[in-house]
Amino acid sequence: MQPQLVLAAGDPSSTNIWAIANTPFLWFCALGVFAVIFIQTVLYSRAAKVAAPHVDMPARELKESFRAGAVASVGPSLAVVFVAIALLALFGTPAVLVRIGLIGSVSAETGSATISAVTMGASLGGADYTQQVFAVAFMAMSLSGAMWMLATLILTPIMKKGGKSLAKRNPAVMALIPTAALLGAFSALTIAELPKSNVHLILVAVSATTMALCLFLAKALNAKWLKEWALGISIVVAITAGYFLHTAA
Amino acid sequence: MSTSAAQLTGADASMARFEKQTTRYGSLTMSAGLIFSLLGPIYLVFFSDLDIAPSMIWVAFLAVAATFGVLWIVEPATYFPILGSAAMYQAFMIGNISNKLLPAAIVAQASIGAKPGSKRGDLAAVMAICGAATVHLTSLLLFVGLLGTWLVSMVPAEVIEVARLYILPSLMGAVLVQSIVAMKSLRPTLVAITLALLMNFVILPAAPALAMFATALVVIASILVSWLVRDRTQFSATTED
Repeated sequence: MQPQLVLAAGDPSSTNIWAIANTPFLWFCALGVFAVIFIQTVLYSRAAKVAAPHVDMPARELKESFRAGAVASVGPSLAVVFVAIALLALFGTPAVLVRIGLIGSVSAETGSATISAVTMGASLGGADYTQQVFAVAFMAMSLSGAMWMLATLILTPIMKKGGKSLAKRNPAVMALIPTAALLGAFSALTIAELPKSNVHLILVAVSATTMALCLFLAKALNAKWLKEWALGISIVVAITAGYFLHTAA
Repeated sequence: MSTSAAQLTGADASMARFEKQTTRYGSLTMSAGLIFSLLGPIYLVFFSDLDIAPSMIWVAFLAVAATFGVLWIVEPATYFPILGSAAMYQAFMIGNISNKLLPAAIVAQASIGAKPGSKRGDLAAVMAICGAATVHLTSLLLFVGLLGTWLVSMVPAEVIEVARLYILPSLMGAVLVQSIVAMKSLRPTLVAITLALLMNFVILPAAPALAMFATALVVIASILVSWLVRDRTQFSATTED
């Protein structure tokens, strides 16, 4: 299927991802998602302001809740920012903003992109990571994200109408399935990195150890911020190690 | 708390109106967000001359669906009792629910002394997520959109090359440890790691054609085997409840 209309000059076999990933239209779509969330926030705040007086909730408490939420999210937001910057080289700014920063999460989205690249016989970030592979990966992760939103759109009214939700009916199964699914996905994705090269093997170990150390220290010192920043710190330590191993090799 | 019947119905009615409004606003904005999030990749796939066959998309999507598909449904079902219907439409568009939005909502409820699930608690959670969203949108635009793009363009090409080459092992090792610690379930962890090792070092070398669906197969097998080897005493105790 060859489209007649060609709006952006892509080159399927080029590995210059940024040339295609930072095109103005993608920026426009990313800013569109930002605008939608901003509008949602305004509409929700207004609706809450109307409802609050009727449930004995003074306007002061609404403001305080807003402020508390804002303050509480400064650390986690900056931690997400940090990880997002590390992924810019891989996906370009608009895709990182929408997929990593907003709708999805770092792990699920990078996982989806990795899986998609493999189906095309390529590896994410490798020498065979072309514009074509990027576009297919971006499409697959966006479709997956869309399914999450679609499920929310369909399930929320159903769960609101009540009856017994699945979670109430069988909590054990409901807890086991996502746990096993997530652990299975991340084990498979992590262990698939090991045979790629000795450097990959060492970096997985470095990254995993750094995370373990951060989480241990966070618990021992009761430092919540360290838990939030652990992923960013692990990436930086591992990438730095990767730089030295790569240039030494 | 002594609330007269008249006040109670007034409060209920206004909360019902709030629910109705947020459901309408929420589903409309979420649909718009869904469309914007798909427009970008659609543009690349169909209008950028990248020679992409529909089968490539389908295979990639199937492989992703087989891996994460179960979470599409389970995650909304899990968060609904905690978030309530209004916040659901916010949470699944803003993302980072467990590491950012839930803590924000809980902190807000605690700071005004409202119980989760109460009317004040629900409004506090919604306002907290509004606050979190405002901070998050601003910091993403500023630090990733502007500063990050500039920063990456300033970094020497060879460093970017190394980052691109090694970002996956550097990220995944940490993500795996993070999820193991977060899940706190020994048996599924052992099952998942064993199956992943088996897949990558025994099955794939023998049958490389399976690579496409390797992750999905490990996920499905992990669910099944974890269920078979579950701690039965714990499970029968919870289901009797």
